[in-house]
Amino acid sequence: MKSTATTTGAASRSRSGRSRLLKSMSSRYDLYLMLLIPIVWYLVFHYGPLYGLQIAFKNFSPAKGIFESSWVGLEHFERFVESYYFWRLLWNTVSINLFSLLFAFPIPILLALLINEIRSKAFSKIVQNVTYIPHFISIVVMVGMLMLFLSPRGGPVNAIIEALGGEPVRFLDSAAWFKTIFISSNIWQNMGWQSIIYIAALSGVNPQLYEAAKMDGASRLRRIWHVSLPGILPVIVILLILDVGHFMNVGFEKILLMQNNLNLESSDVISTFVYTTGILKGEYSYTAAIGLFNSVINLALLILVNRFARKKAETSLW
Amino acid sequence: MKRNWGTLLLSTLVVSGMTLTACSSGTPSDDKGDPSDTANNTKSVSAEGFPIVEEPIKLEMFTRIAPTNGPFKDMPVFQDYEKMSNIQVEFTEAPTDGFNEKKNLLFASNELPDALYRSGLTPLEATRYGAGGQLIPLEDLIESHAPNLKLLMDTYPEIRSAITTPEGHIYAIPGIVTVNAARTDKRWMNQTWLKKLNLKEPETTEELYEVLKAFRDQDPNGNGKQDELPMTARNGLSIVPIMGGSFGLDFQLGYNINLENDKVDIWMGSERNKELLMYLNKLYTEKLLDNELFTHKEAQYLAKQGSGNTGFFFDQTNNPMLDTKVADQYIGISPVEGPHGDRLQLAAPVPRDFGAFAITSVNKHPEATMRWVDYFYGDEGSTLLRFGRLNEHYELRDGIPYYTDAFLATGNQSKLTPYAGGGAPHLISEKVASYINPPQVQEAQKKLDPYMPEIRYAAPMFDEQTAQQINVLRNDIDKYYEEQSTKFIAGTLSFDKWEEFQATLKKMNIDELQKLYQEAYDNIKNQ
Repeated sequence: MKSTATTTGAASRSRSGRSRLLKSMSSRYDLYLMLLIPIVWYLVFHYGPLYGLQIAFKNFSPAKGIFESSWVGLEHFERFVESYYFWRLLWNTVSINLFSLLFAFPIPILLALLINEIRSKAFSKIVQNVTYIPHFISIVVMVGMLMLFLSPRGGPVNAIIEALGGEPVRFLDSAAWFKTIFISSNIWQNMGWQSIIYIAALSGVNPQLYEAAKMDGASRLRRIWHVSLPGILPVIVILLILDVGHFMNVGFEKILLMQNNLNLESSDVISTFVYTTGILKGEYSYTAAIGLFNSVINLALLILVNRFARKKAETSLW
Repeated sequence: MKRNWGTLLLSTLVVSGMTLTACSSGTPSDDKGDPSDTANNTKSVSAEGFPIVEEPIKLEMFTRIAPTNGPFKDMPVFQDYEKMSNIQVEFTEAPTDGFNEKKNLLFASNELPDALYRSGLTPLEATRYGAGGQLIPLEDLIESHAPNLKLLMDTYPEIRSAITTPEGHIYAIPGIVTVNAARTDKRWMNQTWLKKLNLKEPETTEELYEVLKAFRDQDPNGNGKQDELPMTARNGLSIVPIMGGSFGLDFQLGYNINLENDKVDIWMGSERNKELLMYLNKLYTEKLLDNELFTHKEAQYLAKQGSGNTGFFFDQTNNPMLDTKVADQYIGISPVEGPHGDRLQLAAPVPRDFGAFAITSVNKHPEATMRWVDYFYGDEGSTLLRFGRLNEHYELRDGIPYYTDAFLATGNQSKLTPYAGGGAPHLISEKVASYINPPQVQEAQKKLDPYMPEIRYAAPMFDEQTAQQINVLRNDIDKYYEEQSTKFIAGTLSFDKWEEFQATLKKMNIDELQKLYQEAYDNIKNQ
């Protein structure tokens, strides 16, 4: 509706609009100069490399360079789709993300609500710090810790299992356990960090609303349900959309480090496949095609979720 | 405002998702190797004797540095050789972990050094980058400027066939091993345990099984706990080639191939392989074979060798045990005989380390570079490379170099030579092998000698198109084979699925792969 109204006078207004823009630009030239830095950064590091994307449709030979390599059309895409591992890669990539979204997404919200309800300021700060410190552990160290803790020979987790009379479980060499371990350790590591943004949003909720709800005799749970949650709903939706934006890009380094032939059945994902085939074996065109395939799915998902959110929750990225 | 932010964000996400797909900015190799330039240089390169060049020149080389090595510029071989040859080499060192990644990115971005040293190029990489013009063909240079290498290639014809493409080009030269002991993994068994339990060296797979069971149950280390590790091996499927010989499986042409009457037979789906995997599965599930086999890292494996708490393991030398007190506990045993009377020892081919050295198209002094590396294919150069300086690092006994005790005591042995960590372009002959081939290893090798294959064909070279075809096939097949074999051994996949395994291999076109290898083999035969 709004757009039809604006188009009618657009032609006549555009000239004056342009001169006004130039005028304001020259008067605020310093601000625009600052803006130039991120624009150049995007052009150089994000749009520039798009040029190389054409190798997905070519037989890239480094000696000939990107431009000179010969075109092969969709050959690499066909090879990937027909490859024996196609469905497994797709399923693992999608399922790890889906489960992450299902289990790992709500937990920081719950944590934020809990921390918000803690009365003692000092105690809530301690809880917050304790939960977000694991975020700073590097991935390599994190995987090393997992290996130590879950080792069947002398790892504390298996020691407990054995003490309770169970058989030691080989957590890290089992396809069945892989996703559980991957996602739950992600939750442990990141929930505190991710909850910060929700805690900030919660502190922005008008305290009068809580007081009013209290006066009306709402219990704590009711107050959370009717005041806190609606108050941070826009933030939740935005973060959800952002998460979907990374949907196909799983935590590549962590998966690669945890991968072995025994859990490959459920740990083989597109990004690790691209790494092992593309970088280690030098098949750049083939893996560029796979990467492009991945990105296209990602983009489609993002647009879908954004549209859905705009309709249902009236919040969206654009 | 909000709208713009969203669009910007979206673009970031999309584009950053794509950055992986675009990691190169190469331009075709330009005219750095100007012909007139080369002609001038040829004159100043002396055909023999030192220095190699009258005017000092500088070369950049890309190399792999193993965890045990120190910086290359501190190695006596390169310091002394620089003075001798008038060629100064500047090494760019990349650690073993992530080396392949760096190497491939070097080619993809076309930012090439003058040469690749200890580069471990695969045959496919050599063909691909050679045909693409990033590596230069070396066959004429070898003819004119590499007397030592030429002599070796004439003595051992399998070297030439292993490194020459069907078009007749050589793009990379290998590390060459003429001493048998450096071509095999010894089978180290804990003789202290054997004696204590009153057992004899196992001769068959069944006896081996019994011995390992005794190691596990009868507390040979005498601490009252069942903590012995009966058998271990390098990470992954390294155990397959080691035990495969007892089940009639050979490793010809650098792949899972048996050769019978000039017929290439890829045995991955064969009954023999099933028997082998079942045997290994039995060892694994009864905890006779290290259950950390598929997860432990190299360092952990080496530590297990020196712990004295291991019954049976495999390594080329006794070096990892040397610094520990347990070295004397171990003796090498022969390969065991399998259920069908097979008793074969796996041995690496004479051109053991493929792609150890290559010269790139940006190199302005290819002749000098070839002469530079050729020195290490003679005993004199190899001695310098492996042992360093006479009297300072080594002494001669009966003309054979040995490290001095004083030098060994410093613990710097592996820091000062580029051979430690494997893959250096040089000759390993009887003469320079005293350290890796001490009496204990010689004894172990003697046990293996009767079972060595008559001839071991190295991985053949294919033309670029065939190489690509094989690569596409093997990408899927190898991945599948490795993963399923691992699961069969670890028992997470039951042998009921064997037929499915065979059918999938068929579906992945293993017959086509066999045909391509057959053609390559026929080519070698006809040469």
